[in-house]
Amino acid sequence: MTNDQPAQHPVTAQHPVTAQHPATAQHPVTALDDVVHQRVRLGILTVAHQARRVEFGFLRTALGLTAGNLSQHLTVLEKAGLIAVEKGYEGRRARTWLTLTPDGDRALRAEVAQLKRLIHEFEQEGPAPAS
Amino acid sequence: MTDASVPANGTPHEVLAGLGELTRKVRAAQRGTWFPLLLLGALTLGGILVSRLTYRMLTVPCPDPGGCTLVRQGSPLYWPIGLGLAYLATAVFYVRRARRRGVGTAVRPYVLTGIALLAVVAATSLWVTRHGMPQPGEPLDLWGLHLDPASPATRFVARLTGGALAVGLPLLVLARVERSRALLLLAVLYLAVELLPPGTGWAGIAITSPWAFLPQYALPGAVLLLGALGFALAERTRGRAA
Repeated sequence: MTNDQPAQHPVTAQHPVTAQHPATAQHPVTALDDVVHQRVRLGILTVAHQARRVEFGFLRTALGLTAGNLSQHLTVLEKAGLIAVEKGYEGRRARTWLTLTPDGDRALRAEVAQLKRLIHEFEQEGPAPAS
Repeated sequence: MTDASVPANGTPHEVLAGLGELTRKVRAAQRGTWFPLLLLGALTLGGILVSRLTYRMLTVPCPDPGGCTLVRQGSPLYWPIGLGLAYLATAVFYVRRARRRGVGTAVRPYVLTGIALLAVVAATSLWVTRHGMPQPGEPLDLWGLHLDPASPATRFVARLTGGALAVGLPLLVLARVERSRALLLLAVLYLAVELLPPGTGWAGIAITSPWAFLPQYALPGAVLLLGALGFALAERTRGRAA
C-alpha cells in the first residue's frame, strides 16, 4: 500500500488484527481469512456485494485508491476466486467490470460474521483488570 | 467521504462501521427514485385529462320509473399502455445510469413486479369490460364473483385493483431493493390515499360531474410528484456534498 493517497476510505487503512497468535487458537480472530480481511479487499468485496456489478473507476473513487494499488488487490481476489473480472468496451472507452463470485459472497459473509463475533466477545469480556 | 467517517484506529467495530458507510455510498449511487415517481405522477395526473375527454353521461332503463343516469369515464387502454411504458422507461433509465456511474442496479425486481401486477390489473379491467359494466341494480361480475357494486367491500376491491396494485405495491418493492425508508413512507402514504374511500361529492364535486375523478387522480398524482421533487433535491444535495 502506498502512502501518498489523499482520501482513504476507512477500510483502506491498515488493520491491527491480521496476525494470528498461538495463544488465541479458539479466538474468532483465528477464523479471519487474510485474503478477505485486508481492508482494501474487504472494501472491494463489500462494494461488489452491494452493487452486484461494479466498474473499476467507481471502486477507485469510492475507496480512494490509485489505479495500480486497486489492480494489485483485484488480482489477489481474482486468483482466490472471490471475484470475476470482465473487460470490455463501452463506445471507445475500455471498461473493467467485476462481480462477486458465490465463493466471494460466502467469504464476505463469513468475514463480517467473525468481526461481529469478535466485537461480541470483546464486549462480553470487558476491560482487563488493573494490575 | 466525510472526515467524520474515518476511524481513529482500526477496531473491528470501526471496520464494520466503515463497511456500512461504503454500503450506504453504493446505495446512494444506485438510487434514481425520482425518475419513476416523476413518470408515475405525470401519468396519474394525465388520467384526469383522459377521464375528462372520455366522459359520457347516458340515461339507461332501470327499476326506477324515471330512468337512471350512467356515467362512463376513462379509457381501458390508458393505464395498461401508460404504466407499461413507464416501467419500460424506468428499466432503461436505471440500466443507462448504472453504466454511466459504474455501479450495478437493483431495479429488476421493481420492474418485474410492476409489470406482473399491471397485467393482473389489466386482465381484471378487461374481464369487467367484456362481461359488461353493471347496469343499475345488477351485480358486478369480477372474475366470476357477482359483487354488489354499492357495497363497501366491492368499492375497496375496485380501488385495490387500480393504482394501489399496479403502482403502490411495486413502490414498496422499490423501497425494499433500494433500502429507502423515505420511499417506504411515501409508498405507504400513496397506498393510503389510493385505498381510503374518497366519498361522494368530495371537495364539492358531484359524482356525475365530468371532473368527478379529479380528486381521485389529483391527490395520488400530487403525492408522487412531490415525492419525485423531494428525491431529486436530496440526490442533488448529496451530489454536491460528495
